[in-house]
Amino acid sequence: MKKVMYLEFERCIGCRACQAACRECGGHDMKERNYVEYIDFTESRQTFPMLCMQCKDPACAKVCPANAIQITEEGVVLSAMEEKCIGCRNCTFGCPFGIPKFDFEENKMYKCDMCYDRTKHEIAPMCASVCPSDAIRFIDHEEMMELRRKRTQMNLIEGKKPSENDKWQYVPEFFGVYSD
Amino acid sequence: MTQFVVKPGVKNLHHEGEKMITTHCCYCGMQCGMHIRVNERTGKVVGVEPRYDWPVTMGKMCPKGVTAYQTVDHPERITKPLIKKNGEFVESSWEEALDLIEKNFKEIQNKHGKNALSVFGGVSMTNEKCYLVGKYARIALGTRYVDYNGRFCMSSAAGGFMKTLGIDRGSTLPWPELEHTDCFFMAGSNTAECHPTTIQWLWRARDKGAKMIVADPRETPTARIADVHLDLKAGTDSALANGMMHLLIKEGYVDYEYVNERCNNFSELKEAVEEFTPEYTSKITGVSIEKLIKAAHIFGRSPRSVVMFARGVEQQSKGVDNVCLYTSMALLRGQIGKFASGVATFTGQGNGQGGREHGQKADALPGYRKIDNPDHVKYVSNVWGIDPSDMPEAGVSAYEMFDEIQAGKIKAMHVICSNPAVSAPNNHYIWDGFNKLDFMVVSDFFLSETAEFADVVLPATTWAEDEGTTTNLEGRVIRIRKVKDPIGEAKTDWEIMQLIAERMGKGKFFPYKNVPEIYEEFRLASKGGKADYYGITYEKIEKNDGVFWPCPSEDHPGTPTMFQESFGTPDGRANLAAVKWQEPAEEPTDEYPHTLTTGRVVFHYLSGTQTRRTQFLMEKCPEPYVEMHPNLAAYYAISDGNNVYLETKRGSMTVKARITKAIRQDHVFIPYHWGKELSVNKLTNPALDPTSRMPEFKVCAVKLMKA
Ligand code: SF4
Ligand code: SF4
Ligand code: SF4
Repeated sequence: MKKVMYLEFERCIGCRACQAACRECGGHDMKERNYVEYIDFTESRQTFPMLCMQCKDPACAKVCPANAIQITEEGVVLSAMEEKCIGCRNCTFGCPFGIPKFDFEENKMYKCDMCYDRTKHEIAPMCASVCPSDAIRFIDHEEMMELRRKRTQMNLIEGKKPSENDKWQYVPEFFGVYSD
Repeated sequence: MTQFVVKPGVKNLHHEGEKMITTHCCYCGMQCGMHIRVNERTGKVVGVEPRYDWPVTMGKMCPKGVTAYQTVDHPERITKPLIKKNGEFVESSWEEALDLIEKNFKEIQNKHGKNALSVFGGVSMTNEKCYLVGKYARIALGTRYVDYNGRFCMSSAAGGFMKTLGIDRGSTLPWPELEHTDCFFMAGSNTAECHPTTIQWLWRARDKGAKMIVADPRETPTARIADVHLDLKAGTDSALANGMMHLLIKEGYVDYEYVNERCNNFSELKEAVEEFTPEYTSKITGVSIEKLIKAAHIFGRSPRSVVMFARGVEQQSKGVDNVCLYTSMALLRGQIGKFASGVATFTGQGNGQGGREHGQKADALPGYRKIDNPDHVKYVSNVWGIDPSDMPEAGVSAYEMFDEIQAGKIKAMHVICSNPAVSAPNNHYIWDGFNKLDFMVVSDFFLSETAEFADVVLPATTWAEDEGTTTNLEGRVIRIRKVKDPIGEAKTDWEIMQLIAERMGKGKFFPYKNVPEIYEEFRLASKGGKADYYGITYEKIEKNDGVFWPCPSEDHPGTPTMFQESFGTPDGRANLAAVKWQEPAEEPTDEYPHTLTTGRVVFHYLSGTQTRRTQFLMEKCPEPYVEMHPNLAAYYAISDGNNVYLETKRGSMTVKARITKAIRQDHVFIPYHWGKELSVNKLTNPALDPTSRMPEFKVCAVKLMKA
């Protein structure tokens, strides 16, 4: 998989199409695995999406005593395997981003798997496919690097300079799975 | 013809045992492209797949679109005709329901005359069906009383465009060009929630440095990303537009060559905007002088700009004036008829554009013809095979039909694809009107609030169970494909109209065996009119990713960009607007000190008949709420989540408070997608625009207290 998930938080319009679409993915059992939150509703309507970072060295998998969380060859961190998951919920506490969800009825964890049934064929995950504002994108690593450079350039055109407080705006973080 | 349309090289996920059928979303005017997944064994609709190669929306969908398929095989669908017996609905056969309709319609017409019947249509249907509604009312029932829910949605835009540009096509440019625009001036449109898939084009343009100016009393998710947010008071758009034009003239931003060559009334406009100094404009609108000036400079300096607006400016008692004025802003800058620039309204309903063009309106005939024009009547009568003298005269607008009910003139109504019990203003009056009717028929696929008033409910099909065409917000005519057969005994709206026509002895005027046959007649009926569809065939739509009207002949490519050479007015020139300031019909008073405005949320569509039955959407937004500023809330000691009682001269309701600084301090906002005790339209003002007969949903005076 050469593509990455690219998030641009401030583009998010809070429509939650990504969550509706997440339910649509095969094997997702009509349960969404991603998040959309308000920053502070009293102040503004700014929202942001949150997905699994598909960590290189995932805390969720590390803290799993049953070895239930598998990582694919492309580096996608999957939901716990049904037969192995013992429902201890360690992963939900271990993940620094609060990603894994827990199904109390089925007594098992479920999480964002980057729509592995799609992405393994290089088809965009459902959330990135539908996101009307391109806040979530599934793009080539090269395109992502270009986007980062372009943002900095746009800010310079606007006559802004990075400061200690907002330098992240100039070099946004990227998340996702990619191999070189 | 092909059921699954995809361009070479585009990958979609095919599931085992499923087929995909290419169509468009049933909800808003964006008409997002999608493939519906159908289980080949059971024939059931099971899901949705993005249509990445649809050039307007690129696979993007809002949550309504993603979940739209869930209404098709929904457990609450009406599957058999329902007849009300002793106040309860009882399932019946089609035979029995039609017998009852025939008996009542005929009795009522014998006793009270032809015009005692009426038809209330809607535009969340295909062109074929919308076209047929006008014909059904005028020929099958022989009544003059037909109108439709577009009066609550698009009629001010239509009226304003007609007056200014001579043709009402929602957008003068194709959507993908928006990417190359330098400045968007958006008024009264919460695009991010109501037409979310447009946002991708705005962001693409902004990535290249485009500017956005948004006029809205609320800091909506759209206004949040604007360079200038003009936080005007609801109902002051005409002052804002005049103020902007005052500055455009003063600062030398007028394209005089264009104006002299292509527009009338410049001196009248100049005189009218003279008094709208930034100070005066600021006083009326409540927007700061600095913001006004900044906005005028940004808009004036942009080489390519688009003025866009929606219900916020249109649903006012001066909606047509607002549209004329905002359109004039684009004209002063010489923008209409050029690449990546122009003027556009965001069509609210799926087929709000096509549905208003072809004779569902009280005074209109197919192809945007007029019923008071003898030549037009002659042409359409010829297509329909009737004597022109049998064409009923013009009727009255949607809300005014309820005046006719109260006056005892209309005795029966057939409501098709609409839910005015929720969506019409001043609900109590509407409900009372339904109760006064001697006989009422509703065609719908869920038991809507309106259907509950009916004597007979006929089970209609969803959009996925029939085929046809719609016209999206750009004016692009597109294909809706049939995904599966109707459930239960449901029938398509055109079959229902056909069956009733037969019972009324007019069957020979409705001889259709399938939808393409209706389409063929409809093409002909529109031929030579302003909205000319004659050259658009199903094959051409499929081949060219839709076709833009006007398209007068089969070898015509269609018209993506309007008004390149001349306008649709008799002299070919646009009419600039010269309009004085006028207050909204209701201003805050000591008794009703605040302004109430209404609108949509991203999770619901119109009266909510479908979206309130969709699980995901209800989880995200189960009930209406009142949005208010913390300062206003503090004044009444209301905290977030408290119940608030609101009252206007017409009605009252209690809803929970949602407190946010993203709204003017003197305004409160309530979304309108719920019925009965949760319907904000009990409170809204039915003051009508003199031309478009559009009610003033967007402004009324309200008092409130902690409940
Ligand atoms: S779909 Fe995109 S814009 Fe909508 S909530 Fe999700 S991330 Fe935000
Ligand atoms: S669930 Fe959390 S820890 Fe595990 S891969 Fe995702 S972000 Fe990393
Ligand atoms: S409701 Fe409108 S924006 Fe949302 S998916 Fe349907 S057509 Fe697209």
